[in-house]
Amino acid sequence: MDNTIANFGNLLKIQLKQQKQLDLIIAYGLAALTMTYLSYSLPNLLPGDFVTTMYSNSFVTITAEQEAELRNFYSTDAGFGDYIIRLLKLDWGFSYSSLTPVSSLFFSALPWTLLLMGSANFISIFIGFVTGVEAAWQRDSKTEKTMVSTMTIMEGIPEICTGVILLAIFSLHYQWFPAAGAETAYANHTLIEQFLDVAHHLALPLLSLIFAYLPGNFLMARNSMVMVLKQSYITTARAKGLSALRIRYAHAARNALLPVVTRFCLRLSFMVTGALVVERIHSYPGLGTLLFNAIQARDLPVIQAVVLVSSLMVLAIILSLELLYGIIDPRVTHAH
Amino acid sequence: MNMKISSLNVIYKNKSHCIHALDKVKLEIKAGECTALIGESGSGKSTLANACLGILPKNTCFSGSIALDNSPLNYCNEETINQFRWKKIALAFQNGAANLNPVQKIIDQVTEPLLIHTDIDKATALKIASQSLNKLGLSPDQLLLFPHQLSGGQLQRVMLTMALILDPEVIILDEPTACLDAITKSLVANVIEENKHKNKAILLITHDLEFAANNSNTIAVLYAGQIMEQLPAKHLLTSPKHPYTMALARSYPATNTARDLGGIKGDFCLRTTHNNHDQPTHRHLTHNKLHGEHNTNHIPIDGCLFHNRCTQELTLCKHQKVKLIPQQDHHIRCLRNGIVNILELKEASKSHDGIVALHKNDLTIKAGEVFSLVGESGSGKSTLAMIAAGILKTDSGKRIFKGKNMDELIKYNYKSLSKQIGFIFQNQSSALSHRFNIFEAIAEPFRIHKITESKEELLVLVKKLLTDVHLPTEEAFLKYYPHQLNQGSLQRVGIARALALKPSFLIADEPTSSLDPSVQAKVVKLLLELQIELGLSMLFITHDIGLARKISDRLGVILQGQLVEIGPASLLFGTPAHPYTKFLIDSAAGLAKIYIDHNQTTTPLKSGCSFSMHCPRAREHCHQLAPQIKLHGERLLACHYPLPDYIKQHQSNLYIKQNISDQDLHSKTLSTIAS
Repeated sequence: MDNTIANFGNLLKIQLKQQKQLDLIIAYGLAALTMTYLSYSLPNLLPGDFVTTMYSNSFVTITAEQEAELRNFYSTDAGFGDYIIRLLKLDWGFSYSSLTPVSSLFFSALPWTLLLMGSANFISIFIGFVTGVEAAWQRDSKTEKTMVSTMTIMEGIPEICTGVILLAIFSLHYQWFPAAGAETAYANHTLIEQFLDVAHHLALPLLSLIFAYLPGNFLMARNSMVMVLKQSYITTARAKGLSALRIRYAHAARNALLPVVTRFCLRLSFMVTGALVVERIHSYPGLGTLLFNAIQARDLPVIQAVVLVSSLMVLAIILSLELLYGIIDPRVTHAH
Repeated sequence: MNMKISSLNVIYKNKSHCIHALDKVKLEIKAGECTALIGESGSGKSTLANACLGILPKNTCFSGSIALDNSPLNYCNEETINQFRWKKIALAFQNGAANLNPVQKIIDQVTEPLLIHTDIDKATALKIASQSLNKLGLSPDQLLLFPHQLSGGQLQRVMLTMALILDPEVIILDEPTACLDAITKSLVANVIEENKHKNKAILLITHDLEFAANNSNTIAVLYAGQIMEQLPAKHLLTSPKHPYTMALARSYPATNTARDLGGIKGDFCLRTTHNNHDQPTHRHLTHNKLHGEHNTNHIPIDGCLFHNRCTQELTLCKHQKVKLIPQQDHHIRCLRNGIVNILELKEASKSHDGIVALHKNDLTIKAGEVFSLVGESGSGKSTLAMIAAGILKTDSGKRIFKGKNMDELIKYNYKSLSKQIGFIFQNQSSALSHRFNIFEAIAEPFRIHKITESKEELLVLVKKLLTDVHLPTEEAFLKYYPHQLNQGSLQRVGIARALALKPSFLIADEPTSSLDPSVQAKVVKLLLELQIELGLSMLFITHDIGLARKISDRLGVILQGQLVEIGPASLLFGTPAHPYTKFLIDSAAGLAKIYIDHNQTTTPLKSGCSFSMHCPRAREHCHQLAPQIKLHGERLLACHYPLPDYIKQHQSNLYIKQNISDQDLHSKTLSTIAS
């Protein structure tokens, strides 16, 4: 009897947990839908359009009839439902300026951004976290003090600055690295050669992003680690006679992880806008460059697509962060 | 394995000052025994525990040595000390919620030492861990939870299991019962008992004095980093020798005392000195004495650390260094060699016009205690009070007040004696002169002892006293005459007058018998408050058994001019040994009927026991020969045939002890708790 009640209780608990997660997903879904609707109504809210941009400054004069016809050709207003279906079909319209489907533009730029931003974020989080943990462990030592002050100064230098400096030194002066592009065009490379070529092009933008992200990660990891090391359970771990490495990583760093993960995910969610500056400086053919060019050309379908996808990405990453929290910190799951 | 701690000093360094947490602590924790460490929080108990494992914070200096079976541990090297941590010495931390990793499951944390220190594979380790957790009443589902999902008491048991998991030789339990209910506490007691049988050395750190007294062999009392007293556990609650231990015992709500809780006057002393920045910080402890400069760096407090809160301090206590001096089974750090007797009566007798009021009474009253004297009216209570106060002379016998012969003091220096003894009379309306107003009545002692002559100063002193006893201090009130006041206020005036000269010994002769219960409650509360605040010793004379029960540390029962039973109040009320004591207690509740032996053939002689006529246990020779007062354990008793309850109590304790070692019963209780 007791057993059945207990089982029932457990079942209820699991259901409650699932219900909680379902609620979460529904809420985020609604937010995504709102986002899409905004994106859908965006063109009509903005002053100026492609036709004006194209013909206002040109020597070609067009009649009002022609203008209306052109407008009609470029605008495809067929209701919100239709819009969503087309979105799902990846039929995102034609780019005004390059007259190619937006989706093909988008998907040719996406891998480069993923490569650049992904590797920059992962490398800086890894190095930042490990050095932060080690620095906190050796608190008050000379190494730690130097590291903290250096990182604090580095945190103050914007990526635009590091990007330009790196470009000036390694690309212009020494000419070790290419100044633009993501790979050598029209080259006939073997797989390994291609890999090296991509890495060669990636080096400078990646480096300037790492310089931008690393100090913040380091400082945050160190701070949160310093706080954790003061906790009583670290004393317990010491008393248990564990090795310093185990205390540092299995007990302390595990607890210091939470704020660092939050920062990492927020960084990742602002991938497109984060890459904009660096991609521009290094002329890297990612989403940032795509967005930048589209804005210049008032290429609305492209802007729309990039903005929509990047905002949905923010939502998706925050949702996954919320689910991840429960795993890395069990206290979050049981909080009321 | 024995653990020996010798001359252990621990100093916490801050930027601005140092805190002296432990001062030359010497303690031996023997195998197969449980040593308890008690003291107020901040006295350095947990510091000692942490020092044993070498897990003190970084900015700590320490010197001295900790040895396991005579081989000193080297705390300088983390590698070597890691060999000892948890395997040889394990510590169950105080606060389970803070000391468990919040993101790891309970079972994983308990299993961790097994996986790190032994070759056991994970499956077996998990099995061992869950079995030992089950043993302390944690169900299998709870093992998979995270620390924040369990209650404080459950976490404490997890900490305990974790400490015991490697079966260490030395077990340190830091407040193992702090969050536990009484039933779960007994599980911890079982664990201690079991490990004693396994010949482990246990150090029990606790606030729970009763638990310590019942589960340990010796008890060390720590105050401000110094061991004040080391005593056998059984003496802790009933006969401690150091004033601090007595004050602690009196502050603890033991289950068998009915006395109101008393505190300790003053505030806890934290020893700090300002930091000398030129000194390098030393982080580690080595077994040989190191860093001689410590002694120059650390400015010692000269005298006894407890002197400002003590009930028997002398001027000398402030300045003279005291050492822990061994005395039989006790070790005491006190200049005065433990609690002194403020008053001793030896064979004091008194008769009024041939009628014997007191017959050869021995009585000692200790410094700082409340001693109640109960008995029927006409049994000589008031006579004894007068004799104790030095108002009456004795016919024969000796009186010693604070180590001096009282009779000589009365002869040559009565004023100095009367200044030290305050007396609250039974009937204040007749004790206060009706010609004196309140101001004059209270100011009189100051005038007699020539404290001050000026009216202004007197007014200040009188007002201060009136505030102390919660009376108004307006001019109008000061001009009242005794007959204008009610009984409660008059009694307070009497108390104020008795306390005017800051006596060290207060005698209260039925101070509340004329008051109704609500006023009595107020007056008694006030008296006890002042007793703690001023550190007074008190002789409280009453016929009210219930009241005596609420206020006394020790109790004396007087029967027709003779003390028949004297002992700790909790013992006397719990298990009276003298039939008369029981009779008194029962009568107070209206339960007893006077017993008259109708089969009595021989008339009792004068030399016989005074109670023999009414005593149901009296035998032939009770009527002829009065019993001598003798020491029976903690109490003095004058009876040929003490009550069976008193005898049975000793046996019943044994009976419980046997049950504990009984494994069947043990597992049975566990299973009932588990279900």
